[in-house]
Amino acid sequence: MPPSQDMLWYKDAVIYQVHVRTFCDSNADGIGDFRGLAQKLDYLQELGITAIWLMPFFPSPLRDDGYDIADYRSIHPSYGTLEDFQNFLKLAHQRNIRVLIEMVLNHTSDQHPWFHESRSSRDNPKRDWYVWSESDAKYRETRIIFLDTELSNWAWDPVSKQYYWHRFFSHQPDLNYDNPAVREEMWNIMKFWLEMGVDGFRLDAVPYLVEREGTNCENLPETHAIVKDLRARMDREFPGCMLLAEANQWPTDLRHYFGNGDEFHMAFHFPLMPRMFMGLKLEDRKPITEILQQTPSIPDACQWCLFLRNHDELTLEMVTDMERDYMYDEYARDKGMRLNMGIRRRLAPLLDNDRRRIELMNGMLMSMPGTPIIYYGDEIGMGDNVHLGDRNGVRTPMQWDGGWNGGFSTADPENLYAPPILNPVYGLQVVNVQSQKRFDHSLLSWMKRIIQVRKSMPVFGRGSMEFLYPANHRVLAYVRKLGNETILAVNNLASSAQAVELDLKSYKGNILIEMFGRNIFPRVGDLPYLLTLGPYQFYWFRLRKI
Amino acid sequence: MWQKFINDLMLASQEIISEVAKFLPRLLVMLVLVLVGYVIAYLLKSVLRSILRLTKFDKLSEHAGATQLLNKAALPSSTELLTRLVFWVAWIGFLLAGASVLGIGGMQEHVGHFFGFLPRLFAALFVFFFGLLAASFFSRAALLAAVNADLPSSRLIGITVRTVIIVFSVAMGFEELGLAEHTVLVAFAIVFGALMLGLALAFGLGGRDLARKYLERRFLHGENEEREDELSPL
Amino acid sequence: MTRRSLLPEESILSDDFLRELMNVGEVDILIGVPTYNDANTVGTVVQAVRAGLLQYFPRQRAVVINADGGSKDATRDLVRAASISDLHHPSGMTALRTLHCISTQYSGGVESGKALHTILAAADLLRARSCAVVAPDSIHIEPVWMKGLLDPLHNSHVDLVTPLYRRHKFDGLLVRNLIYPLVRALYGKRVREPNPTEFAFSSRLAVQFLNQHPWTQDAGRDGTEISLILTALEQDWPIAQVFLGEKSRTEHAPTDLVRAMRQTVGTIFWSLEQNFSAWSSRSGSSPLPTSGPEADVDLEPIRVNRKRLWEMFARGVAELEPVLKSILSPATLAELQRAAAKEEEFHFSDELWVQTAYEFAASFHQEVISRDHIVQALVPLYRGKAYTFLTENRDASGEQLEAGIEALCQTFEQKKPTLLELWEGTK
Repeated sequence: MPPSQDMLWYKDAVIYQVHVRTFCDSNADGIGDFRGLAQKLDYLQELGITAIWLMPFFPSPLRDDGYDIADYRSIHPSYGTLEDFQNFLKLAHQRNIRVLIEMVLNHTSDQHPWFHESRSSRDNPKRDWYVWSESDAKYRETRIIFLDTELSNWAWDPVSKQYYWHRFFSHQPDLNYDNPAVREEMWNIMKFWLEMGVDGFRLDAVPYLVEREGTNCENLPETHAIVKDLRARMDREFPGCMLLAEANQWPTDLRHYFGNGDEFHMAFHFPLMPRMFMGLKLEDRKPITEILQQTPSIPDACQWCLFLRNHDELTLEMVTDMERDYMYDEYARDKGMRLNMGIRRRLAPLLDNDRRRIELMNGMLMSMPGTPIIYYGDEIGMGDNVHLGDRNGVRTPMQWDGGWNGGFSTADPENLYAPPILNPVYGLQVVNVQSQKRFDHSLLSWMKRIIQVRKSMPVFGRGSMEFLYPANHRVLAYVRKLGNETILAVNNLASSAQAVELDLKSYKGNILIEMFGRNIFPRVGDLPYLLTLGPYQFYWFRLRKI
Repeated sequence: MWQKFINDLMLASQEIISEVAKFLPRLLVMLVLVLVGYVIAYLLKSVLRSILRLTKFDKLSEHAGATQLLNKAALPSSTELLTRLVFWVAWIGFLLAGASVLGIGGMQEHVGHFFGFLPRLFAALFVFFFGLLAASFFSRAALLAAVNADLPSSRLIGITVRTVIIVFSVAMGFEELGLAEHTVLVAFAIVFGALMLGLALAFGLGGRDLARKYLERRFLHGENEEREDELSPL
Repeated sequence: MTRRSLLPEESILSDDFLRELMNVGEVDILIGVPTYNDANTVGTVVQAVRAGLLQYFPRQRAVVINADGGSKDATRDLVRAASISDLHHPSGMTALRTLHCISTQYSGGVESGKALHTILAAADLLRARSCAVVAPDSIHIEPVWMKGLLDPLHNSHVDLVTPLYRRHKFDGLLVRNLIYPLVRALYGKRVREPNPTEFAFSSRLAVQFLNQHPWTQDAGRDGTEISLILTALEQDWPIAQVFLGEKSRTEHAPTDLVRAMRQTVGTIFWSLEQNFSAWSSRSGSSPLPTSGPEADVDLEPIRVNRKRLWEMFARGVAELEPVLKSILSPATLAELQRAAAKEEEFHFSDELWVQTAYEFAASFHQEVISRDHIVQALVPLYRGKAYTFLTENRDASGEQLEAGIEALCQTFEQKKPTLLELWEGTK
């Protein structure tokens, strides 16, 4: 029951990423749930987002924040029941908000009944559902992703006396996609949720589905074939639903996941995000323009997903060593802030809680080609707690007001799934929704405004992009175009005021209209167009020929 | 007869007395003129001297080599020379003016000539003096350039430059004075022509070698002796 | 457009150049490259500079500024092509930042002073924390030179870095025989290359020098590099020496000795006038903090036409007699003439050379004749000293060569009181 029939809705979307557990607790057990989430839909509607991406909410031992699923067809009891979920879905759709859920294809929890069966004996019918081997020497060329915790991609199973394959934690055995029964079962699970009404899936850890000797076991053609098959089935039975790929790869490798428009609808642009932070710190647009130049064009119906921060660490896998060292030194001087190959921090602390930089980064996020994702809490500038292990520091309770548990839960504070942020800068007394709602100049109000401006013009989501290369390298400028709508975005990456001369010859005669205040700027003439920008300032102009 | 003698004597003495009486004031005027002239000339001399000292005229003439020239001729320094000249010209002017007051026949004309000639004299001296300065400066420049360019007979080049410039300035000076214009011009033309011919011959004959050396260096480099240039001084 | 409204007298920076500087913005490191028709070598040099910046200073904001004297060849294009911009990405994938390489042509023909003036003015405007100048014809340049030149500025509170090179033993004769010993004796610091083509300096020194140097006067037009070093010496700025590598200028067009003499010795003589109180009070000399070998010498034998040197010296002494008479004391002149009489016995002793040099300096101060002529008259005499140097060191090892130079320096230092007496005119 999609809210609108536009098949390309995901191109215009503004997605809000949230974990049920962290958002709102309706039954005072210290853990957020679907009823709580449903209560906050009005807030999300007011914010202006058009889709919610829910992180895994399935029954799970929760050793990897729910990405270790023990039952694909049910809801974790802490978050409520299937009915609660269905009710939430209905309420969201009533507000024209679509719902995306997680689908972890690659692996299950070692607590999943399938794995229990599979490991019980070597001749169990489910033995083939996982990847077993006599030796841990197979697939040697495959890298280890969680360098900080895992030594090998193989783990010894003392029960059946064989090694099993796992690309992530050892408690997450990989499913065997060479087995047709596995593929069929996974589609049935997806169908289960689609029939319930979800609008799409984020498919987790896609590149790793299939293993082949002599390869690095990533991005294999067999993997692509599986995705194509899933997509074809979905298009046939549930048109208008969407698949989003999580594949932390270089753009040229990612490009294959779009196929000819017959694999994923969307994919995360992982390499861009660290380079936006890098460009800001260097006060140089080069990292950003360079990576976007290397980004291949994608089929018309496909779209990049852009984000500033998410529930994981700020990943630095897709940068050079020199760039990684720089990022660590500039953004994570404290070793505790580093995890695996990344930085586990939220947006506001990364940017020193500087409102101008937060606005600039959001301005770029919202104006570059792609669909933006906002990580919950970043719209009010929430902080993090690096002393909570793993990535839990960026998964603390949402701060609704300055009261009891920040309005997240009425449980005793010690019963919360994680302690809320309480420090004097980012604590719930200072940073919360209620106080920001009261003021027009708050970050929350500003976020509402920018989402509103973005949604007013389809060119943001669907337009082409062309860089201008003004000689001032501290200014990032680009033109977005769709039909006869043209938008010019100019971003000052520097902490000081800048003058820039833009070559707008091909837009001669146009009047520039600043999109937030709708003020008129001078007409474009023969001379280079001179603009001055304050520190970290950005402009969005609509070009109009009148 | 005595009477007539006495009368005549009286007349004569009266005449002498009246003549003397007529002459005495003139003499007095002349003496005053001479005295005032001396004072004025002296003042002029002092003023000029301080001006020249202020403008470091001695240094200038020293650079140009005029001082050494004067030294050689056992003359005082150029400042002294110039101030003395001015002093004498001014005083002589006053002396002549005084003499003319005496009303001695023909004197007036000479005095007029003298004053008419004065500016020309100064101009001529000026041209001559700076000619000397220039000759000294440029001959040294030419000499240094020739030596450093390893040209043969550099001294000759220096002397030639000096001679040409001096001859030229002397010619100009005489022209300024209006004396023997034609003679000077012809003399200058002869000297200049001779010099040029000499130079042309010298360069023609000597240049043969130079040209050969140049061509050799240009086309037969490699097994050449001219390695000194390849040592870099810096 | 009012592009040409600024006359060169009003500003050394053209409007177009200023516009480019605006786009570069504040930088940490500025590399200046003065050029004139250097298309054959400048490409290599700028690529090495770029590689050095990338390798050793990847995080610093840097700019390469080319001050060109009106090249007719592709020099300026070659410099500009070394920019790392986001426009041509295949070249600069490993660079974190944009590297601007900009080029400007100053008006009025080649003049090393104007080139350095442009570079210093740009450094001031861009607030560069450290600057280095590299010669466009240093074909042996390595990326590591950048580190060598700039590191002392960043790490050890030094304001000026002068180079040390591995050079042929007969290269840089004027430096070895006159410039180094003279500067050392006068200013009391052992700067091996007081007239460097590669050097680096801090922004503080740059701004100070920029504001005090008489750029528009005749004296300020040439020999500006040595002027900068002398200024640093005079005002006691901390200086360090860094060994860079091989340097050879022999591949290039022969240097005009008179011009070289004007630029260096002329400038030193002129500086004595300005800095009397500074140099007159110093005696002896102290070594500078130095990294790398102080004197690395290439001993490969080369053929030199010493006969010609001798001839030019002997002829110079003879022909220039009237000029030398006004510069030198009669005793010194007589000794020179005696020495110039016979080639076989000729030996230009250190004492005589030092006496000659000091008498020239004093005569320069007293302006006995035109100052330029004084400097020119020194050229043939230097040839005589060079002849002696070549003869003495024909088979010398590096150590022997060094010992000889050290002895000459000692003589210069010991005889410094003579210069002071001559200076005051008491002798």
